[in-house]
Amino acid sequence: MNIVRLSAFRALGSVPGANQTVASFGQLTRCYHKNVVEHYENPRNVGAFDKSDPTVGTGLVGAPACGDVMKLQIKVDENGFIVDSKFKTFGCGSAIASSSVATEWVKGKSIEEVLTIKNSDIAKHLSLPPVKLHCSMLAEDAIKAAVKDIQAKMKAAAAEKGAKAVASSQ
Amino acid sequence: MSLCPPRDASSNINVPEAQRDPNEWNEKIYHEESDKALDLLHEKLEAYVEDLGIPESDVEYSQGVLTVCLGKLGTFVINKQTPNKQIWMSSPVSGPFRYDWNSGLWVYHRDGRMLLQQLETELEGLTGKPIKLLS
Repeated sequence: MNIVRLSAFRALGSVPGANQTVASFGQLTRCYHKNVVEHYENPRNVGAFDKSDPTVGTGLVGAPACGDVMKLQIKVDENGFIVDSKFKTFGCGSAIASSSVATEWVKGKSIEEVLTIKNSDIAKHLSLPPVKLHCSMLAEDAIKAAVKDIQAKMKAAAAEKGAKAVASSQ
Repeated sequence: MSLCPPRDASSNINVPEAQRDPNEWNEKIYHEESDKALDLLHEKLEAYVEDLGIPESDVEYSQGVLTVCLGKLGTFVINKQTPNKQIWMSSPVSGPFRYDWNSGLWVYHRDGRMLLQQLETELEGLTGKPIKLLS
């Protein structure tokens, strides 16, 4: 992988880079797993939906000071199934890959089902090293935050509908 | 228009403790307590791992990051996360956790587990040898 390009994207985390690709004197030290590289070079579902869209749930987690911020969004149909998902992540390769995987895995599932996606599944899929398990946890949190957001919107919409029905029947 | 430069409000000389910036004071406490915790863990875990004699095991502490490699049993990484004033742990047994300083203990707020207790339990579970981390 191109070192310069990786450095340009690498956020300043407080933990020293545990899996950078370093080529020194012809020797490779710890490397990113090929699944991470794949999601980094060809990230799926990068982008954004309109946050105010009533069918969109937005999960925003992390903090710039920590070096990782993830925004994961889900588009939900009237039956509570996720028809599309987008993400934008500021962070290391593992954080980008974790959120990219998350957007792939939520598509086609119900909002209840995606709450069962565990950080350990994401970490296993990407073969994340110990120090990067926190990135997969953040992706799990992002999914949960997006579901919480859409559930709040659905509840508010139902309440409004109920209130209107009562008003029109009187 | 005043020709005098504005007073430097960040100077703490002669400012009573109670009036100092609470954030600065919290950060000071955070560094003291997290350094104390990590120094303690470094000392105890280094002795523990050496005693065990697991092949390819190693304990390393540098720049606020404590790495405890137990060979084939897995690796713990315990580090300071200063922006959040937390200690983060990555456990080969149970995954990633973030602990906050709460009344003298490092606690994971989601389920109340405590860093030192969790380490004691998991290390004994992994290696079969107990370790005492709590005073």
